[in-house]
Amino acid sequence: MFRDMTLGQYYPAESVIHKLDPRVKLVATFVYILSLFFIGSVTGYLLAALFLLSVIALSRVPIGFMVRGLRAIVILMVVAALFNVFLTPGEVIFSWRMFSVTKEGCFIAAKMVVRLTLLIMGSSVMTLTTTPANLTDGLEKLLGPLRKIRVPVHEMAMMMSIALRFIPILVEETDRIMKAQIARGADFESGNLIRRAKSLIPLLIPLFVSAFRRANDLAMAMEARCYRGGAGRTKMKPLVYSRRDRIAYLILALYPALLVAIGYFHFR
Amino acid sequence: MFVLDEVSYIYDKGGAYQSQALDRVSLTVGDGEFIGLIGHTGSGKSTLIQLMDALLKPDSGTIYYNGEDINGSSYDRRKLRSEVGLVFQYPEHQLFEESVFKDVCFGPKNLGLSQKEQELRAYRALELTGLSKECFYQSPFDLSGGQKRRAAIAGVLSMEPKVFILDEPTAGLDPKGRKEILNLIRDLREKTGMTVILVSHSMDDVADYADRIIAMDKGRVFLDGTPKEVFAHAEELAEAGLSVPEVTAIVRMIADRGLPVDTSVTTIPEARDEILRILGR
Amino acid sequence: MKPLIDANSITYEYIRRDDEGNVEGITTALDHVDLQVKKGDFIAILGHNGSGKSTFAKLLNAILTPAEGTIYVDGFDTSDPANVWEVRRKAGMVFQNPDNQIIAQVVEEDVGFGPENLGVPTKEIWERVIESLKALGIYELRKKSPNRLSGGQKQRVSIAGVLAMHPECIILDEPTAMLDPRGRREVIRAVRALNDVENITIILITHYMEEIVNADRVFVMNEGKIAMEGTPREIFSRVEELQNLSLTVPAVTLLAHELKKAGVDLPDGVLTKEELVSCLF
Repeated sequence: MFRDMTLGQYYPAESVIHKLDPRVKLVATFVYILSLFFIGSVTGYLLAALFLLSVIALSRVPIGFMVRGLRAIVILMVVAALFNVFLTPGEVIFSWRMFSVTKEGCFIAAKMVVRLTLLIMGSSVMTLTTTPANLTDGLEKLLGPLRKIRVPVHEMAMMMSIALRFIPILVEETDRIMKAQIARGADFESGNLIRRAKSLIPLLIPLFVSAFRRANDLAMAMEARCYRGGAGRTKMKPLVYSRRDRIAYLILALYPALLVAIGYFHFR
Repeated sequence: MFVLDEVSYIYDKGGAYQSQALDRVSLTVGDGEFIGLIGHTGSGKSTLIQLMDALLKPDSGTIYYNGEDINGSSYDRRKLRSEVGLVFQYPEHQLFEESVFKDVCFGPKNLGLSQKEQELRAYRALELTGLSKECFYQSPFDLSGGQKRRAAIAGVLSMEPKVFILDEPTAGLDPKGRKEILNLIRDLREKTGMTVILVSHSMDDVADYADRIIAMDKGRVFLDGTPKEVFAHAEELAEAGLSVPEVTAIVRMIADRGLPVDTSVTTIPEARDEILRILGR
Repeated sequence: MKPLIDANSITYEYIRRDDEGNVEGITTALDHVDLQVKKGDFIAILGHNGSGKSTFAKLLNAILTPAEGTIYVDGFDTSDPANVWEVRRKAGMVFQNPDNQIIAQVVEEDVGFGPENLGVPTKEIWERVIESLKALGIYELRKKSPNRLSGGQKQRVSIAGVLAMHPECIILDEPTAMLDPRGRREVIRAVRALNDVENITIILITHYMEEIVNADRVFVMNEGKIAMEGTPREIFSRVEELQNLSLTVPAVTLLAHELKKAGVDLPDGVLTKEELVSCLF
């Protein structure tokens, strides 16, 4: 059942956003996240939310999938918001015994919740509309200039994509070894922490042995197919910007410009 | 021993690859039987044997072992697993201890037996598999492929199961290794009297070794009987992506030529005698 | 004509070491082997595990280099480090485990991996990938994840990946050992078609005798030496010798052999069911 567990929860659909060059999406996500930290006004946040919502609408990914990413941090958000509400000094609007709610506290808490929500949803758009393989390609190309300072960009990207290919295989293998040991009476569930950690040995050793064997086989297979690092390699699917991508970059440039303009009016 | 009553299992329930792995399978397994379980990849064989060891839970239907529902809330499933030994495909992938002997002790240790009893059982199991004594205290990772497989089989045998289920125990071995493992299973059954369920892709092997054959396709049992009964259904087997043993195919070709040959033969000596008979010798 | 592969008196030894790294002994995997392969031939190499056949395969691909003797692949000496990549391109290699040789997450990208490494221009990579996928009959699977394929399909992806490098010869090291009967048939049929249609030289290393029926020449290896050599028919007629080398003869051949022993007049080395039946009646 883990066979097709895709990392980063890719949601397949035919949309403009899906078709964009991964580099555009990486840059856009970066710009968007950065912008969230500079916005200082309600209008600014409205614009940021509007921008995100239009991208989501274009991506044809059900909004439910976007919200799913938020569930993991909901508790963290609530706790942090409460702290801010009660512990920020300022103009008291309500107080009970030693607790007092301040106007500034409410404002900071609201700002934080909005910011985090937009941030999580913004990065979800990228992972939901880009396959991990594509993302790796984009990163390799974007970080390409780092090669000049001896960062092994190609090798890192290759490692990432091999990891993505083998994760489902190893997950399945874990399941199989676990069952085989349970069939021999192993117990992975009861006992205290130390006992449980110990009970993992019959699972972990075979798993490591298998991972090493696979790594060895794979290295041999890659060499047999003339793999010798990134130098001199061509690409079957080179990343080429199309009209669509250039338009996306333009829109992306307009977004911070708009924010700045709004900010200018706001501060006057 | 085992009674399966309308057992169904759904793979990846609720997920993207949901499919009916087992579809209302009912069958009984008697004491001391040697069953060959056949079916192509994805026919539900592996699911079936995992259900019998309570490693999976059926979505509907009931599995009884000695009259008790093995998925009942108070049922002792660890005891079940000690009585039903399951050898997975490529069992050598589960070896982990520093010596073969210690690895074989793992099962008895999990049963909570005394140190002495653990060692006695491990020793007996290793002897039964015919692994040479100098291998006992070696690291399992230093053994050859065939030896590793024997060591892993010993690791299940040491639980002294009453039912021994093996999922393609000969996969990946060379012809010599295959023959040795199959003979080992036959000998084990003769010596210990246990029930054996052998999952196999080789029609020739199940015809040679099993007393009863269960054939599966699309999550259902579609043939169940003696090798002769099952291999009489050549067309149905072909539809399920299976075949008859080579020699059965040969005598059927002879019968197609209008000769009065008995097409129920499944082994080479039987085929030889039958052909010699119609040649009038 | 100059042979495509020319192995002269090659010897290869493995040094066995104990835990401290001290030399325990030497295993001679190949012992003065001579073997020539003509362009366009279909060669089969048989032998049980440890007979030296896998070592031989790795020597052909310059993964290993011989301790003594020389191997030329299309005129290139494999021992010369300068020739390594040319040798690997000319003599492509397919390994046993279908999971451990697919690199990419999409079928077509994996087939393109070899040409990418060779620096083939993008447009030509696509032509080669499409042509190779079609030659192996897996064009419709090109967008799939390798994890969703059957064993036989995965092995055909691997073969396509080698074919896209435009090799002179493809070496298959037990490509079917981990497959079910259906997968084995798929792979063998595909390999035969490559030889017949594309005229690619094939070196098939296996321990399944059934797979070599269509080979032009068969070599049987034992203890690092070539023990037998000839056409499939010549090899199959030496049943007892093969059994002594721990190889199992196909049921048809064995049945014919038994009948012959019982006095039936049959030719030596019967290869197929059809042949046996038409010889008998």
